[in-house]
Amino acid sequence: MNKGLLILIFVILLSSNVLALGITPGRSNFDYSSGTQKEVEFSVINSEKKDSNMVVLVQGELNASISVSEVSFQMSASESEKKLKYILNMPVGLSPGLHTAEVVVIQLPGKSETSEAFIGSAIGVTTQIHVFVPYPGKYVEADLNVIGSDSDGEVTFVIPVMSRGELGIKNVKAKIDIYGPLNKKIESVDTDEFSLESQERRELVATWKSDVDPGPYRAVATVIYDENTAKVEKNFNLGVALLELEEIEVNDFSLGEIAKFELLVENKWSQTIAGAYAQMLIYNNDGEVIADFKSATYDIPPLEKALVIAFWDTAGVRKGTYASSVFLKYSQESVQKDFQLEVSDNQINVVGLGYVISKGGKSSGGDNSLTIILVTAIVMLVIINLIWFLVLRKKLAKKR
Amino acid sequence: MINKKHLIVIDLILVVGSLFVVAGLVGYSRPLVIFPIDNLETTNSSVLFTFENGEKILIDDNLEFSSPLIIEVKENIVVTLKPEIYYWKIDNGVGVSQIRKLTIESEIDLRLKKSGIGEDYEVVNAGNTLLEVDIYEDEELTGSVVLGIDESVDVYGDRLIGGQYE
Repeated sequence: MNKGLLILIFVILLSSNVLALGITPGRSNFDYSSGTQKEVEFSVINSEKKDSNMVVLVQGELNASISVSEVSFQMSASESEKKLKYILNMPVGLSPGLHTAEVVVIQLPGKSETSEAFIGSAIGVTTQIHVFVPYPGKYVEADLNVIGSDSDGEVTFVIPVMSRGELGIKNVKAKIDIYGPLNKKIESVDTDEFSLESQERRELVATWKSDVDPGPYRAVATVIYDENTAKVEKNFNLGVALLELEEIEVNDFSLGEIAKFELLVENKWSQTIAGAYAQMLIYNNDGEVIADFKSATYDIPPLEKALVIAFWDTAGVRKGTYASSVFLKYSQESVQKDFQLEVSDNQINVVGLGYVISKGGKSSGGDNSLTIILVTAIVMLVIINLIWFLVLRKKLAKKR
Repeated sequence: MINKKHLIVIDLILVVGSLFVVAGLVGYSRPLVIFPIDNLETTNSSVLFTFENGEKILIDDNLEFSSPLIIEVKENIVVTLKPEIYYWKIDNGVGVSQIRKLTIESEIDLRLKKSGIGEDYEVVNAGNTLLEVDIYEDEELTGSVVLGIDESVDVYGDRLIGGQYE
């Protein structure tokens, strides 16, 4: 047998049809402290639950400052994860800013289990190490998030600000300029203001009553911290078409037969949403999809609710709890909701779907039934006490 | 015949009874958080929140709840969250529950299978964060792809290294 053929057989024997590998956490962040040592645990996950050979490498700018507990190891099919450690020795004299390194775990191709297809590639996953060195003086990093608009047409701007300087900041605030579709400034709003310690993170918040037409907008935030400024901006859309899933019901169900899912969907858009449909995915305990089915397409009139029907053939399905996701798909949009299905002999309970009325924005006060009951009970007690002390007690005392 | 002593006893019963009823009502009306337990650390980004007497879940990345995600609910709900440290509480308009901490750890999960196209492989992001995959061939970096959660793409290479993106 010649050498080439031997190598080919060897490669085939060392190949398998699927490779999978996980690691957690994906990243660890550290504030710089010269000369100190950090010991960090991380887990390598044997996602495919097979025998594997692993090697561990360290790479990146800080690689000389990191040592790992093992440089190679084996995982058996019965091991779902393996815990390892690395020690980070913070170098002396790092310059201000971000410094990084990566611990890489590489899974070498294993023995073949099936012969249909082979993978000769190696895969690897990394846990990243980020070390932040403070800038001299005052320095703020900022981002801009736009939430909404909500049912009242209110848009919330959230600016997370992180003090990355060696010195704290006495006052930080932001002014947000909002530009319309024609890039014309239409309004400005101011955030709240506060002080910020070195390495502290807080959020500046401002709201805007968006009494404008739907369309693309741009927000430009100028963050003012003591005598310095920083700028962040973000594009956002107002009045985007929106479908919302309110309820899922399964009636008249028998395990092994076809389950009829009735999804109550509300169109929150002021125009008809055409061609909308629901796709449902049901997962087993390993997170693998065991069912993937879709409804027919529906045209849902503006601001109305529609019942979207989808069918699941439960032949071969066992009783139990299954993680599930539903995707409402329309135009280029996809709205995902996750929940659990409790499947029994003659019932499917949908758990964890809740009933989302609103997301984001400020918390409103509660004028709910519980408040009414509580207030009523307290008022009644006050009345009873008043009647006793001011009327009945006096009458009885007089009689006496 | 009712004497002064009887009146004082009735006074006491009424006042103490009223205080007990008010305390009971306030205690009963306070939201009760059940799950997730305090300080839970998980890599599962879809979290089932269970509680009693609640009307709103408030979730934020800071204890001040300066810009919370507010979900008004009638019953337990699964919420999908990005890897981060969160604080959450339940509000029912009358009172708020204790604040609990929840950590969603980022998990990198790279899966590779033979694609149906030529010598390509299908690489899948099965983790809970954006994944950047560096593609090597003959020890040389030939490119990289960024995959969303559950996203897949066909690639060609002999070594694929995945890490958290951004």
